[in-house]
Amino acid sequence: MLKKLTTALLAGAIGLPAAGAFAADDYSGHTLVVGVWGGDIERLLRENVAEPIEEETGASVEFVLGGTGDRMARIYAEKDNPTMDVAFLNMYEAPQALSDGIVLPPDPETDMYKAIWDGMNNGCYAMSLVGLGIAYNKNIVSEAPEWEDMWDPEYNGMIAVAQYPGSEGDGLIGVAARLAGADEHDPDAAFEKLQGLKPIAMTYTNLDEIFAMMDAGEVAMAPMISGYVLSALKEHPDIGFSFPSDPGPVLVRDMLCLVKDSPEPELAKMFAEKALGVANQTDYAEQIFFGPTNSMVELSEEASADVIDTPEEVESLVQLDWPYVIEQRSDWTQRWNKELLEQ
Amino acid sequence: MNKRALLLLMPALILSGIVFLLPFLWLFVTSFRVQGEGSLLMAEGFSAANYARLVSDTYFAEVFFRTIWMSAAATAISLVIALPMARQIAVSAGRAKGLLLALILVPLVSGALLPTLGMLHLLGPLGVINSILKDIGLITRSVKFLGTVPGVIIGLVQAFLPLMLLPLVNALSRLPKDVEAAAETLGAPTFIVWRRVILPLIAPGIIAGSVLVFCASLTSFVTPQILGQGKIATFGTMAYQQASLVLDWPFASAIAVVMLLILALGLAIGSFAAKLLARRRA
Repeated sequence: MLKKLTTALLAGAIGLPAAGAFAADDYSGHTLVVGVWGGDIERLLRENVAEPIEEETGASVEFVLGGTGDRMARIYAEKDNPTMDVAFLNMYEAPQALSDGIVLPPDPETDMYKAIWDGMNNGCYAMSLVGLGIAYNKNIVSEAPEWEDMWDPEYNGMIAVAQYPGSEGDGLIGVAARLAGADEHDPDAAFEKLQGLKPIAMTYTNLDEIFAMMDAGEVAMAPMISGYVLSALKEHPDIGFSFPSDPGPVLVRDMLCLVKDSPEPELAKMFAEKALGVANQTDYAEQIFFGPTNSMVELSEEASADVIDTPEEVESLVQLDWPYVIEQRSDWTQRWNKELLEQ
Repeated sequence: MNKRALLLLMPALILSGIVFLLPFLWLFVTSFRVQGEGSLLMAEGFSAANYARLVSDTYFAEVFFRTIWMSAAATAISLVIALPMARQIAVSAGRAKGLLLALILVPLVSGALLPTLGMLHLLGPLGVINSILKDIGLITRSVKFLGTVPGVIIGLVQAFLPLMLLPLVNALSRLPKDVEAAAETLGAPTFIVWRRVILPLIAPGIIAGSVLVFCASLTSFVTPQILGQGKIATFGTMAYQQASLVLDWPFASAIAVVMLLILALGLAIGSFAAKLLARRRA
């Protein structure tokens, strides 16, 4: 009962996102700059976060769309004079940006921090949870595949990979190492195992091209991140998505970072509260299959089945030693190019 | 140079200084920095570590030579394709010539991205070429053009052919019309006319076109990135990978500096060849 009451109170605090606190402030003429990925993520953030903020405060919200590489380059280059207020980063980039003094540490005293599952605000605020699994052509691969199935000679030359470096490639290295009885700390084992996937059918950079190749039967399987794939599956009935179990999917987490010394810290905080709030995180889960990090979010059984939405589920996922992975990336990029792609 | 000329050149010099020279200097300086241990921020001091890395790992030498020979191949193929085309344009008259020249210029002004995306649909596994080959029963599975060296070279030729065509059209248009006829009257077959009369006379155009196509191919990023599908590393794609994905900006700067030095060398060789030719003629 007490737990329910606490939950309800907290939900109220997060669910009515500080409207009262900020309504009195007029930010007309102010612009909040948010760096984020495009597509559905931008759409949801615009609907659930930017438009309400613009209505409540009179400020305008400007989205700078692109990959995290662009954002990291910008916030590092502007370290002494930042122009971006909020930056969405990958889980492995956030601790790095924090240790380099580029972003603010997540504040444990805030309601939004408390509402997020314990241990997830690593570097910045945890925004969403997804897992690296396998997208596959259902006409070629009859059952939801396990990782080892990608090495089945039947599918030789029909495996696609994402461009490297990136979360998908790092995840695949981690999986290959585990299949070889090691982990990512033994890259030799991982890359030796990866040799078995050659020749790689294609290196994909976007969903359209990989799905077109899968629909055409040119690609049988590809390691892909759940959220984007699951939301696109309704348009591709011949493509399935598998969360393997041995080892499990690799955990990937998006992070919301508040840039240190940014021009609009109050608006940035307001943006973070709404983005991490129940309404937006529920839409994230139900519409684009990105699991919520906010413990107050309650999903329908149907929506819950397709997303990672509990700490227990997170525990079952493969978690890479990201600081180590990042340290190795430059070398691994060369090995990936040379040993897997045969460049 | 008189004051008036300097004054007229000033806007271009200022613009060039701000948008090219200063960033280039910054790039050059950055290439001698390194990132701190466990940090993406640049550490204090300067070091030649990035250049040492470039010369000590055979991987970079392979990428270096691949970029050079792909650019050379694209240049040679462009020349072979452009010569007859340029000749046809040069002998055309009036509207036909204008229309053909406009058609050459369209890909140039539309930038590298659009034509390359077009090539993606042409060369892709589900593209026009593979569909035709499948329809007529020559193949059952798609031929791989994308993600292969030949695919990238086709893209480079398509993207930079106009850079070869324009100087050639210019050189061929200036060719006195009776020179060719004179050679033929003296009994020279067409091949000899081309080899001993036309080609030597249009050599400056060939050099200019070759330098332009070679340099553009060498520094090209969009074409190898899209048509190479991340599988064909060139200096351009490697610099992008290090800057935008690995986030090792000093090392990416070193790659860019080496690329610019090769570019300068290519231009110098072209300029030297042109001068040598002019001196011989004089």
